[in-house]
Amino acid sequence: MDRSSAIPDAAAGPAVYRQYARDWLRANLPPHMRADSVGYRTPTLDECRDWEAAMYRAGLAGMTWPRAYGGLGLTLREHLAVNKEIGALAMPESISSIGKELAGPIIQTVGTEEQKQFFLPRILAMEHYWCQGFSEPDAGSDLARLRTRATPEGDQWRIDGQKIWTSGAAKAHYCLLLTRTGTVADKHRGLLMFAVPMDTPGIRVVPIKSIDGKESFAEVFFDHVQVPDSARLGAPDEGWNAAIRVLGIERATNRMYRAWRFDTELRQLVAACKSDRPLSALLQDGYYQRRFGEVLGEIDALKGLVERTVRQLTAGDAIGARGSLTKLHWSECHQAFAGLALAVVSHVTPGSSALAQRAKKAFTTAYLFSRAETLYAGTTEIQLDIIAQRILQLPKD
Amino acid sequence: MTVTTLPDTDLKPEEFAQAAVAPIADAVGRPAREAAKVLADAGLLGVCADEDDGGLGLGIAFALPIAIEAGRQMLPLPLVEHLLVAKALHGTPEAVALCSGQRLATWALQGDFGSGIAGHARHAADCDWVLVADGQGGAALCEAASLVLQPDEALDPEYPQYWLRLEGAQVLARIDAPTFTALQRDLQVLLAGFVGGSADGALVRTAEYMATRVQFGRPLSAKQAVRHMLSRMCLARETSDASVHRLLEVDEFGAERDTGAALAHAIAQSAFVLEKAIHLHGGMGFTWELPLHHGLREVRKFDAAFGAGALARQAGQLFIASVE
Repeated sequence: MDRSSAIPDAAAGPAVYRQYARDWLRANLPPHMRADSVGYRTPTLDECRDWEAAMYRAGLAGMTWPRAYGGLGLTLREHLAVNKEIGALAMPESISSIGKELAGPIIQTVGTEEQKQFFLPRILAMEHYWCQGFSEPDAGSDLARLRTRATPEGDQWRIDGQKIWTSGAAKAHYCLLLTRTGTVADKHRGLLMFAVPMDTPGIRVVPIKSIDGKESFAEVFFDHVQVPDSARLGAPDEGWNAAIRVLGIERATNRMYRAWRFDTELRQLVAACKSDRPLSALLQDGYYQRRFGEVLGEIDALKGLVERTVRQLTAGDAIGARGSLTKLHWSECHQAFAGLALAVVSHVTPGSSALAQRAKKAFTTAYLFSRAETLYAGTTEIQLDIIAQRILQLPKD
Repeated sequence: MTVTTLPDTDLKPEEFAQAAVAPIADAVGRPAREAAKVLADAGLLGVCADEDDGGLGLGIAFALPIAIEAGRQMLPLPLVEHLLVAKALHGTPEAVALCSGQRLATWALQGDFGSGIAGHARHAADCDWVLVADGQGGAALCEAASLVLQPDEALDPEYPQYWLRLEGAQVLARIDAPTFTALQRDLQVLLAGFVGGSADGALVRTAEYMATRVQFGRPLSAKQAVRHMLSRMCLARETSDASVHRLLEVDEFGAERDTGAALAHAIAQSAFVLEKAIHLHGGMGFTWELPLHHGLREVRKFDAAFGAGALARQAGQLFIASVE
């Protein structure tokens, strides 16, 4: 993969990198992919892939991954600087965040050298998208009840079972699949992780329509799926233990741009109101002014949590269960924003401005989608349990 | 003055928090004058003041952990206001007197000379001097004895806010508009830290109580409703703390961050934590004996001083105006 010669040197520092990212992103994002533009249309999968691949070539992905595997070998500080600019522009969400933020780090931790060389550069170059096969109908937050079996057969594994709530399954090339080698009675013991090609015979994807009208997740059935031993990520328990560690960090660092994107959405909402005379009157209303200020305070606090996490990780400190604080806060912060946005765009009429119409479409969908945000990546109740147990260390008896 | 407990200045701001614990604990419960002497001897009153005035000449980042600790221990003294006035009056005899604890200063958070009345001055009856906005962008340090003080005991009969009639005020020193603007920003940062400290103290106290109070054969902390409420209180404390500390740093492009939204957030979150702390303590939480109500009163007094929700509204106005 040829990288742009304009990528700043690491020694230039995060400020230079942020300015570079800002300039590049604004110059290169196709106008129809800007969600705050009246010319927006939903980008195709190929357009999203091309955009993310271009970002990678420009040095705006794989910031912290080792150079040997296609990364830039930089620090979380540069990663954060770039993410602030990714958030500052209303661009599409990544179609391969599972690959970049979950599968990639796990492979870096437990993968063989051959697996690292094969998978990691392709994830960054957007040749492979990944989905996450953890949840099952009977094992949502409680993965000890996982039933999908992996049975050794010669130098292969046979996989049987069912996954659910698998985002992006229909488009993914690989599934980061969690299975068990023993029985349900083994609970958390004997869990084994695989990188399973989604075109393997025996895999069936059944899309699920969600409340936002999309089919962004699915049920995935594994019926006598045969994979080679080379698809295994680590020994039994090893891959899962690595996943637990990665998930802990991931809760605090994934989609690090969120707070800055929420800020951008809040600006889009104001801009839409200003473009329309009746809506602009809302901005003079003390009630709405206060609500904007309160949401802004929540967003600023989220920025503070993220920046603090980066400082701690950069200093070599463990963040422990603190990722649960970030996950809990961002999900509820965005729901608070979405509630405000819905209240505002409810005033949009057929005679409203084009920007206002665009905002109504975008934020009505955002409001509905935000219902999922307190569910995925660990529900609110699970995060509250983790905080009570591991941060406050409250006794149960 | 001999500074006895603060660490060397090559240490980090967070280390000042530890150094502030003992002197603040010593000061709590003492009469105001004695408390000021204890804090002065520990170097806390002059942490941001010029070294020539007897201060330590350190930035606001070093005062923040002290403000947090004062909130955590619910110090009944206008420490935040005092140390900022000492900073602003650099090079004056008043600054020297403030750093040494010989004089005590507070700050009227509302009103100005233009209106003839000022208010929301904490502990004014215990103070020698009061900082009042001059109505022209700057501020004036007034002799408290030259003002007519009227306690407002509605929220806090023990530590009332004071209204001040300004006719005949004796002005000792003046602060120009740019300095006062910067000082107001510092005040919002430190007050956000102070109320966040109050929330932290309440959370720690409540978590300990829930872990040891046994009902139905198990500690109350075994109950999910209690555990989740404490987790929410923890989140409120953490988000408040994170947003306040964020104010200490300029962004990558050197821009200073607005303090209003962070202070509004800190006040709202701290009030939430203190209200729930009182609730989780059951009947004991409703007693005068348990000091949680002091923290809640203090936070609500600050909320009132800044217009009871006005900070969030102003932050919203500023944000709306910033969008083209």
